Amino acid sequence: MKGMSSRLTLAMTGIIILVIILFIADLLIGSTHIDASEVIRSLFGHGTPGGEIIVTQFRLPKALTAIIAGAAMSVSGLLMQTLFRNPLAGPDVLGVSSGAGLGVALTLLTLSPLFTLSAGSALQGWGLILAAWAGAGAVMMIIMAVSVRMRDIMTVLIVGLLLASAISAVVSLLQYFSNESMLRTYVIWTMGNLGNISYPQIRALAMATAAGLVIAFLMVKPLNAMLMGETFSRTVGVKMSSTRIILLVAASILAGSVTAFCGPLAFIGVAVPHIGRLVFGTTDHRTLMPGVALCGSVVLLLSDIISALPGGGHIIPVNTVTSLIGIPVVLWIILGKTGMGRRF
Amino acid sequence: MNNRLVILAVTILLCSCRHGGSSTSASGTDASSSAARFELQEKHGYTILTVRDPWQNSRGTELVWYLLPHDMVIPDGIAEEQVIRVPVRRMICMSTTHLAMMRALDATDLLVGISGPDLVFDSLILDAVSRGQIVDIGYEGNLNNELIVTLKPDILMAYGVASPSSGNTGKLSAMGVKVLYNADYLEEHPLARYEWIRLFGVLTGREAMADSLFREVSAAYRELAENVRKNVQERPDVLLGAPWEDVWYVSPVNSYTGRLIEDAGGHYLYSDLTEAHSVPFSVEAVFERATVADIWLNPGTSESLSDIAATDHRMVRLPVYTQGGVWNNRKRMTQKGGNDYWESAVVRPDLLLKDIVSIIHPELLPEHRQYYYIRLQ
Repeated sequence: MKGMSSRLTLAMTGIIILVIILFIADLLIGSTHIDASEVIRSLFGHGTPGGEIIVTQFRLPKALTAIIAGAAMSVSGLLMQTLFRNPLAGPDVLGVSSGAGLGVALTLLTLSPLFTLSAGSALQGWGLILAAWAGAGAVMMIIMAVSVRMRDIMTVLIVGLLLASAISAVVSLLQYFSNESMLRTYVIWTMGNLGNISYPQIRALAMATAAGLVIAFLMVKPLNAMLMGETFSRTVGVKMSSTRIILLVAASILAGSVTAFCGPLAFIGVAVPHIGRLVFGTTDHRTLMPGVALCGSVVLLLSDIISALPGGGHIIPVNTVTSLIGIPVVLWIILGKTGMGRRF
Repeated sequence: MNNRLVILAVTILLCSCRHGGSSTSASGTDASSSAARFELQEKHGYTILTVRDPWQNSRGTELVWYLLPHDMVIPDGIAEEQVIRVPVRRMICMSTTHLAMMRALDATDLLVGISGPDLVFDSLILDAVSRGQIVDIGYEGNLNNELIVTLKPDILMAYGVASPSSGNTGKLSAMGVKVLYNADYLEEHPLARYEWIRLFGVLTGREAMADSLFREVSAAYRELAENVRKNVQERPDVLLGAPWEDVWYVSPVNSYTGRLIEDAGGHYLYSDLTEAHSVPFSVEAVFERATVADIWLNPGTSESLSDIAATDHRMVRLPVYTQGGVWNNRKRMTQKGGNDYWESAVVRPDLLLKDIVSIIHPELLPEHRQYYYIRLQ
C-alpha cells in the first residue's frame, strides 16, 4: 500500500512538473519566432511593443485556456464514464456540446439576420458565449428531467444521444436557410479555438470550471461507490437520483462552459480519462480526478504546441491535433489492449 | 456534416482569394491581365468556346462548346450535347458576377433563373424576381433540379468549386440541361475576370457591345494603373482580409485583390506569397506583420471598428486600427446581404481601382468619392 501511494505521489509530481514545462514551452513556441529572452521580458512588461502584444495577448491567454479547458473537458468526461459505466462516454453523449452548438447556431443564423448585417460579428465575443451556455444549459435541464423519471441510467444515455442527433438536425435546417457569411461564422465556430479569448472571458471560464471541479471533487466518494454498480452504491447509502443529477450538473457546467468559450473540442473528454487511468494505475476518483484534470491540461497544451509546429506562420487547427491524439487512444480502448473496458 | 458545410469549408478557402493556376507574372497589367481560362475561336459561321480548368485544382481540363446560330445545321463531327444555340433565349445564372455581366449587356430579360436572390444587389433583377419572371433555383449542392428542368433553359451558367461529378450539376447534364462552367472567379486579374463579358456577348448576340465595353473599361483601368505607377514614390503597406478565430486565410499577391492593391500603388503585406490559393496563417503571424500596415482592406463582414473588435479583440492593438485606416467594400449592400462589390464591381474594375487608389493615395484622386468602399468608424 505504501509503495502504491509513493508511485502515485511520483506520478502526480511528475505530471505537475510536466504541466509547468509545457506551459512555458507553449509560451516560447509560437507560429512566429520570438527569442526566449524576449518572451520572458515581455511577460514582465519589458519587451518590445510588438513582442509584448504577441506574448501577452496571443500566447499567454492561449496557454491559460489550454490548461483550464483541458482539465474541465477531461474531468467532465471522467464523470460521464463513471456515471454511465461506459468507457466511450464523454461530454458529448449528453448532447451538451450539441446544445451549445444549437445556441450558437440560433444566434448566428436566426437572430442576427433580424438585426443589422454586421450583427454576426458584433454577436461574437460574449453574445455567442452566452448563447452557447444557454443552449448547453437547456439540454442539461432536459437530461435532468429525464434522469429523475428514469431508473435505468442507460435510458438517460440513449435520450442524450437522441437529443444530440435531433439538435444536429435542427442545426442543419438552420444552416440550410441561412446566408453564407453567417454560415461561415458558424462553421468556423465548430472548428474549435483556444486563441481568440480575452482575459475577462478566461476569468469567466476559470470560475465556471472551478465551480464544476469543486462539485466534482465533492462527489468522489459516491463516484467510487458507483464503480461497484448501482446496487452496491445504494447499499452503502448513496442516493442515486440526487447523485446522478449533481454529476450531470457538474459535467454540463464543465463541458458547456468550455464549448461556449472554445467551441467543440474533440476527443479530449473521451480519451484523457483513459490516459489518466493508465498513468496513475488506479480507478480511485480521489487520485484519478485531479490526475485526469492535469492530464487534460497536458494533452491540450501539447496539442496547442503541436498545432504551431509547422512554423513559418502556419498552424494546424487544434481540433485536428486533439482528434489525432484522441482517436488512437479510443481505438486502443475498443481493441481492448489495455483492459480498461473491463473496469466498467 | 451536410454537403453544404463541406462546400462551405471549401468556399472558405476560396472566398478571399480569387486566383488562377497557370498564369504567373509579376505585378502589372499586361501579359497577366488576359483571361486564361477561356478562349473563343471563330469558325465558319460558328464559334468554338474552350473553358480551361474551370474549377479549383483542376489541371488540363478543357471543356469545349460549339456556339451555333439557331438555323445552322450541326457540322459533322460535333456532338449535339456540345452545341449551344446562340443567341440564347432562356438562361440561368448561378453567380452574381454572371448577373452583373448580363446587366452590363442589357440582357437581363433573358434570365429565367438565378441562384440565391438574397445575395443579389441589382434592383432590376430583384424586381424581376419579385414579379416571378426570374425564379430562385436554389444553391449549389441544393439545387432544385425539377424546377430547373421545367424552366427549359438554353444554358445554365455555373461556377465550379469542385468537379461537376461532386455536385448535382452532373445530374442536370444527364437530364439534358446544358451546364456551362464559368471560371471567371478563378482569374487572377480584375481585367481577366472582366474579359468573360466577351463570352456573354457571344452567348447573347451582343458581341460588338461586349467587345466595346471591354475595350473601354480596360483602357480606363490601364490608364489609371499607369498613372499611379508613374506618380507614386512610396507604396503604403496594405493588410487584407480578417481573422476567423485562430486562423487568417491570406490571399496570395497574384489574386484579384492582391493585383488591385499593387495596381493602386500599394504594397501588399503578403507580396511574397504566390501560392495558387489562399493560405491559412496563424493570427499571431499575420498580426506581427500587420503592425506596419498603413491601410487595412476588406476585413470580412465588419462594418465598423467595433465589429472588428468583437470579432477579435486583439486587432484593436494594430496601429492601422487605432489610426482609422480600415476600409471595407460594404458601401452598396441590400438589407438581405447582397453586396454590389461582388456584382457590378466585376464589370467596373476601373471604378474599383479608382476606389482603392483613392484610399491608398488620396492625393492622386482628391475628387473621387468611394463607390464601393466605406471607411470604418
